[in-house]
Amino acid sequence: MSTTLKRVHGYLAEFDNVQDLYHAAEHVRDAGYNRWDVHSPFPIHGMDKAMGNPRSNLPKLVFCGGITGTTVAFILQTVTQTNFWSSLGLGFLQEIVETYPTVVQAKPTDIWTLPAFFPVMFELTILFSAFTTLFGLLALMGLPRWNHPLFASKRFAKFSDDSFFVCIEARDPKFSQDGTKALLEKIGGKNIELVEDEI
Amino acid sequence: MSHHLSFNDLPQGGEKFEPAKGGKLIGALGLVGLLGLAASTFFFLKNTDTFAYSWLFAIFFTFTFCVGGVFWIMLHAASNSSWGVAIRRLWENLANMVVILGLLASPLLIPAVNKHLYEWMNHHRDAAHHAAEHGGSVKEALHHMSHDNPHLHILYSKFGYLNISNHFIPPFSWQTRFVLYFLILGYIARVMRKKSLQQEQDGDIKHTISSRQFSCRWLLFFALTSTFAAVDWLMSLDYSWFSTMWGVYIFAGSAWSSMALTILLVAWLKSLGYLQKVVTEEHYHLMGKLLFAFTVFWAYIAFSQYFLIWYANITEETRFYLTRNTEGWRGVSIFIVVGHFVAPFLALLSQARKKKPYVMVFVCLWVIFMHLVDMYWNVIPERGPSLGIGWWVDGAWIQDVAALLGVFGTMGFLFLRGLSKYSLYPWRDPRLIESVNVVN
Repeated sequence: MSTTLKRVHGYLAEFDNVQDLYHAAEHVRDAGYNRWDVHSPFPIHGMDKAMGNPRSNLPKLVFCGGITGTTVAFILQTVTQTNFWSSLGLGFLQEIVETYPTVVQAKPTDIWTLPAFFPVMFELTILFSAFTTLFGLLALMGLPRWNHPLFASKRFAKFSDDSFFVCIEARDPKFSQDGTKALLEKIGGKNIELVEDEI
Repeated sequence: MSHHLSFNDLPQGGEKFEPAKGGKLIGALGLVGLLGLAASTFFFLKNTDTFAYSWLFAIFFTFTFCVGGVFWIMLHAASNSSWGVAIRRLWENLANMVVILGLLASPLLIPAVNKHLYEWMNHHRDAAHHAAEHGGSVKEALHHMSHDNPHLHILYSKFGYLNISNHFIPPFSWQTRFVLYFLILGYIARVMRKKSLQQEQDGDIKHTISSRQFSCRWLLFFALTSTFAAVDWLMSLDYSWFSTMWGVYIFAGSAWSSMALTILLVAWLKSLGYLQKVVTEEHYHLMGKLLFAFTVFWAYIAFSQYFLIWYANITEETRFYLTRNTEGWRGVSIFIVVGHFVAPFLALLSQARKKKPYVMVFVCLWVIFMHLVDMYWNVIPERGPSLGIGWWVDGAWIQDVAALLGVFGTMGFLFLRGLSKYSLYPWRDPRLIESVNVVN
């Protein structure tokens, strides 16, 4: 006798083709659900609109990451190679530089040697943006979890082959055992299944 | 999906532009152009030396838009794209303006004008004179002259390309190439539009395919043309200076500014009630993305050129930036870094802004203004030093404005009038529907 604790993840409904899935998504959206998703073997143009998805927050994160990269590169280079910070009255940051200014090819040691730092500023901007994109994406997808709860369903494996799914999650405030199931039935969902997640 | 338009939803026969509808702008451009041309004629006769630079600046500024127009139609065809079919006719019209620009540019061929612009031509003329008197070739005479003036030795070395005498032997003379550039660009523009118009008759896909083949072949000649036009007209203002990135730099600015002009045109035509169903916010987004790409590309090229020259610190190379990083030009240089790159970069980052026509109109006006500053900064700093007047010629800016209004106003007037000749979009292109319903 199993004693495993289980938690309801949500209702999973299957659809036959893209059109059905698309219209189902529109209905779920109009019913006011927020915590739900669709799964298909390939990307579907316009699905974002049908689902009423808001824009992802990732670009904002990436922008901050990029700005951080530029700033880090700027500070790193100006502190070690110019007297810029001293001229702002922050000489304690760069006492060594004041003693041994790095003069390369007779270029100035003040802020006007800035063009020499552009390549690194450019590279670090890209590097930090790329890192923020990757790790921000993983974080937004809920990385600490190693698998998706939907894989508990046997039928769900077909999402990568020839079937289309809508899953409304239990953590949605509008979720109810009867109401949600009725909605999925009404919009033409087949093989409706309550997916449970092992804790 | 529910908004998918089909061929029958669009006006049959395309949309014809009625100049009367855009009367105010067209009239203003025409008036300004006429006044500018009148003032230009006056300045040409009175201040030929300083005005030659003004005219070169105005011509080249306008030329970059035509170059951009040619580039965008060719790229669109060569890459087998469909998104821009709804906009393509505007590029075709823009590209075809190059023929008229050739007429306006022709004063630059007159020795009395170009002797003020290109010092090397004067040395060549001296050499020709020398050769006529003492026998031998012009090149030998140059070599002989360089014994007294070692600076001229570089002209002897560059004689194969930079000369005014080898009219019929490749790579030809400066004057022959001048004409060739307009012929090549004009030919490309004409052929591309001809194919497009033939398709309007029969709606056959074969015209799309043949224009793709044509573009792939002629892109090489386009690249050579735009590169060497930039080398001949701007880089040789200072015959000792050279930069291998120069052609790409000018090309990047051309593609950038002409895309901005296209967005402005589309917004203007839409505000007059045209292209309502054909051009959507998706097109604004796509064009905005290309504008953004070229903002970055231009900055990359401009910085690479500056960086290598600044760091290597070689005498001949640094002269270009020495002129532009000292005196009053220093402020302009820094303004270009911020205004040509940083500001448009930040403005175009967001997807939402690229989809809003009124935001894009402001950004594009700014882009064109910055391109103007960039071109001014490339041509005009040569004027004072070359004529021996100092870094800035007092009062000459009025001549620059007159030339700019004359050339740009006239060209703008003719361009907008010319829009009425054909449908505003290729209405029988088989891929028009694909373009109208584009999603990205």
